[in-house]
Amino acid sequence: MAALSFPSNFLTTTIDKAARWARTQSMWPATFGLACCAIEMMATGAAHNDLARFGMEVFRASPRQADLMIVAGRVSQKMAPVLRQVYDQMPDPKWVISMGACASSGGMFNNYALVQGVDEVVPVDVYVPGCPPGPQSLMHGILTLQRMIVEGKVAS
Amino acid sequence: MSDHVTVTIDGRKLEVPAGELLIEAAQEHGTYIPRFCWHPRMKPVGMCRMCLVELETPRGPAIVTACTTPVSDGMVVHTRNETVQRMQEGVLEFLLINHPLDCPVCDRGGECPLQDHVMAYGPGESRFVEEKRHFEKPIPISELVLLDRERCILCARCTRFSEEISGDPLIEFTDRGNGVHIATFPDLPFSSYFSGNTVQICPVGALTATAYRFRARPWDLEAVESTCMHCTAGDRINLQASHNEVVRILGVDVEPTNQGWLSDRCRFGFQYVGSPDRLTVPLIRDAEQGHTEVTWSEALDLAATRIGEVLAGSGGQSVAVLGGARLTNEDAYALSKFARVVLGTNHVDAQMDDGLDPQFLAATVDRALISDLDSAKAILVWGPDLKEEHPTLYLRVRRAAQELGAALVVVHPRRTGLDDRATHKLTYRPGEGADLLTELVAGSGRASQARQALAEGPVVGLVGRTGYGEDPRLAEAVAAFVRTLPDARILPLARRANIYGALDMGLAPTLLPGRVSVGGEGARSIAEAWGGLAEHPGLDTRGILEAAAAGDIEVLFLVGADPLRDVPDGALARRALERVPFVVAIDQFLTDSSRLADVVFCADGFAEKEGTVTNLEGRVQKVNRIVPGPGQTRPDWSILDDLARRLGVELGFGSAEAISKEIADVAPAYRGVTWDRLDWEERDGIVVPDGGEAPLRFVPADTPGTRAGGDLVLHLARVMYDDGVTVRHSPSLAGLAPGAAVHLHPDDAARLGLASAETARVVTEQGEATLPIRLDDTLHRGVVYVPFNQPGMPPLGPGPAVTVTPA
Amino acid sequence: MGVMSELWKGLRVTGRIGLRSLVGRGIVTTEYPKEFRTKPQRFHGRHVLNRYPDGMEKCIGCELCAGACPAQCIYVRGADNAPDDPNSPGERFGYVYEINMLRCIFCALCVEACPTEAITMTHLFEMSVTSREEAIYTKEELLMRPDGTVPHPRPDDPYADLSELEVADGWVRATAPSGSAAYEGVKMWQDTAGPASWDPEPDQETRDA
Repeated sequence: MAALSFPSNFLTTTIDKAARWARTQSMWPATFGLACCAIEMMATGAAHNDLARFGMEVFRASPRQADLMIVAGRVSQKMAPVLRQVYDQMPDPKWVISMGACASSGGMFNNYALVQGVDEVVPVDVYVPGCPPGPQSLMHGILTLQRMIVEGKVAS
Repeated sequence: MSDHVTVTIDGRKLEVPAGELLIEAAQEHGTYIPRFCWHPRMKPVGMCRMCLVELETPRGPAIVTACTTPVSDGMVVHTRNETVQRMQEGVLEFLLINHPLDCPVCDRGGECPLQDHVMAYGPGESRFVEEKRHFEKPIPISELVLLDRERCILCARCTRFSEEISGDPLIEFTDRGNGVHIATFPDLPFSSYFSGNTVQICPVGALTATAYRFRARPWDLEAVESTCMHCTAGDRINLQASHNEVVRILGVDVEPTNQGWLSDRCRFGFQYVGSPDRLTVPLIRDAEQGHTEVTWSEALDLAATRIGEVLAGSGGQSVAVLGGARLTNEDAYALSKFARVVLGTNHVDAQMDDGLDPQFLAATVDRALISDLDSAKAILVWGPDLKEEHPTLYLRVRRAAQELGAALVVVHPRRTGLDDRATHKLTYRPGEGADLLTELVAGSGRASQARQALAEGPVVGLVGRTGYGEDPRLAEAVAAFVRTLPDARILPLARRANIYGALDMGLAPTLLPGRVSVGGEGARSIAEAWGGLAEHPGLDTRGILEAAAAGDIEVLFLVGADPLRDVPDGALARRALERVPFVVAIDQFLTDSSRLADVVFCADGFAEKEGTVTNLEGRVQKVNRIVPGPGQTRPDWSILDDLARRLGVELGFGSAEAISKEIADVAPAYRGVTWDRLDWEERDGIVVPDGGEAPLRFVPADTPGTRAGGDLVLHLARVMYDDGVTVRHSPSLAGLAPGAAVHLHPDDAARLGLASAETARVVTEQGEATLPIRLDDTLHRGVVYVPFNQPGMPPLGPGPAVTVTPA
Repeated sequence: MGVMSELWKGLRVTGRIGLRSLVGRGIVTTEYPKEFRTKPQRFHGRHVLNRYPDGMEKCIGCELCAGACPAQCIYVRGADNAPDDPNSPGERFGYVYEINMLRCIFCALCVEACPTEAITMTHLFEMSVTSREEAIYTKEELLMRPDGTVPHPRPDDPYADLSELEVADGWVRATAPSGSAAYEGVKMWQDTAGPASWDPEPDQETRDA
């Protein structure tokens, strides 16, 4: 790589920008619906909100084909290793959206059974507040993530 | 069953003790009668009318207050029939005519008896639409208590408390009719040492505490029961915290110790726990930069290296340990074992030159219980002013004299809080106590009447050192005299928080854990359990400081100790600390003394650790944890354990509870004392058996005879609010210290030409100071009284010789 | 043969909807973020702390909201009002007021618990954050400005419609402010944020006179 690291190389920086933009245009989410938030996540994919507008309608059951994990719902302590395994199986670059109060912080379930925030298990890029967040809130989260990727504020 | 009567309460036939109040009898059998003014520890007045019940009498139904009606045989009572319900609704509607509905901002909201009773017994809606009465709110009636007269429901609990219980009636009703309200006397604040209790018993939010005001609401409080570590009475407290910050302490009503009352120092002295000045990281002193923050391992390594060098060179004889009275028993045991086994020294003293023989304090036989005061016919108090140093014990003695009819003899160089209830009060010059004692023993001279008062048993003697000008052995002589009285029991008095626990754990030069004497019979089994003991004779605090000042001590441990301020001879302490090459401090604050330490370890304190403490009657009680320590603080035992490991010794401490099990194994007196028992079956504590391995043989009464030179003697004594670490770092209390002053009898002042002077120059062997003069005609002639450790006062030393000249 | 006819059936539906959308009829999709769906009047969005028309804070720091909160997302600390320059009417005001939006479940129990109607909810719900710290709204972000406008941590967020901050959720109180049960169920709410401005209770003037 040393030979390729030009200090201010027109070609590589522009390609990098293009690559970052391209990555935002078709992020395929892995299905990780765990509770009520998943209903809103499904609604986001349906006609009224239509995630296909962002090229994201393909919720993949196989983590190998997904770039984005939307953790939708409460993560129990027993689910945490599963969640981590799915995350580990996703190919790089990959992102995580923590959807809703439970996934983000445990929400109203401040008890021993739940992981108090999924960021204890996987690195989270965007947190979406709400209980559950409506489709528009989730899309706000997705757009926030896209903008961060384009601006290079998250590792991609 | 002649002492029992049969009453029918709501159709249930009950056997209750004759003469009991109806409200108590009903409560014991599960019928709660609502009340505001009635308090189980005070006399009934029947002011609030909330406890109205219906009695069936031959002349028809009668409405009476349950709190003023004793039960009688055949009584038929209704507490919840229609008439009574109408009464209760009426009473509550009346109470709410003027009670403001500012519950959301009221500190009492959420735990308010008035709120609860209105919800449970109230009418639901008021017919009164008129304007409520208004007062300026809230008005501070002392530094600690605020009064909101609008909220007051005139139950007289506070006025009765200050009259019946604490004996300083500074708060009273004033005005008439609709205008009746609580007030203090003009120009006289409610400056009682017990004012906080009125806040706790107020059934509404009329009296609130400045320390708790708006700090939290009841529903976000966590609470744990614990034991107060300010005085030695072992008061049970309810320790409450919100968001990892201690915000309030309430008294718990337990029969053996405090009966629900607390002194203000205990109630509001928790603030130091969350003080921003707390040490949060270990410090190392640098010659140039002062203290710098380091990691635990750096600090421990440095201490271990230096201590190792000294131990290898001159041995344990040149290492000494001061302090430990602020520790729990478990930490004190760890310190004792650390000193004896790792450091190999007997130079260990927790008493910090209060001067009394540790054997006398810890191993007195016939030790009294606090509850013995209730059955005593006569009480002799020859010791410190109980109100200043043992506030809740003071309340018990006061109750015994005032309510239970005990004869009370008080001996002290000046006035004490008990004087107004004392049957006989004797004053004397410190140093001449032996003469007075001789008179008292013989029943001659001015002590003849007092001697007669003590002739009838059972007698309880509360014996301690009246001040630092006093010969410490006098207390033992007084105790010897008390033992000759009929049916006598003795309470030896010392004032430091857990001093009795510390002595029982062996933090004294002559004692090992379980009151085993150094070199005595039991020492062998301890040596076996510990794998060795120090052999050389140990020095007490004064001895250690003198040896240190002479250069014979090379390592000095200060464990929660501030000798510069806390030892009567502060000048000696300064010389000592400056001379010792390596000082290790384990403390919560950077005190004057730990500022001179080379290594300072930050330790967990009260409310941050679990353990047990022992009070002055030998009662072992649990202290509990409710908040984490700030920053990187650790419990003392763990610091010592780590230090020992670095010095090549495994002390084998796993946890404080494991240490408590080791104490139960090693210390004979503490056999069978476990945390499980203290947490569950015996919440009020376990009294360990009195006496030690070698129960103290009292010195005969005529031995002490130090005579002070000159015609003036210094009486240096403690007061409740001083410049000690815990008070100084509790903002509510810090301003209450009375300030440095020299108290003179008007005759003495006139003789010295100081009758109209503002200040005087006080010179002792150890120091000198210019202090404002206060005239005090309760002083014995020739006694110069100076309160100890007041803010800004240079150390004056113990005296007793003193000269006072115009400034 | 059966397969082909079923395929034809399905494609007919797709084709019909496709053709209709070409002429712009029957599209249900909201083109967020270019357009925003209108939220129902009683929608629970982010909170706002209100002021009285004279500019005083309504919050008295009583912590009833924190007590009512099922998710323990509210942290309030009270303090004494300075007598000559009070923040709120009465003795006490909330000098710390924080809501952790990531714990909040937007149930509005805090709004119901509030004795002074200090905390109400707006319609703004789009407030994703990239770190947990950002999700904690402090008093600075919750308390409306004296002019009635509501601050927001990201005032330039292109994906949120900040005018939703001006819309208050409507809610029905159980009793009148005076506590009289006669007004139970009477609808008394305003549908915009800003200083409270509803009409007095019907007989309030006669009672005050």
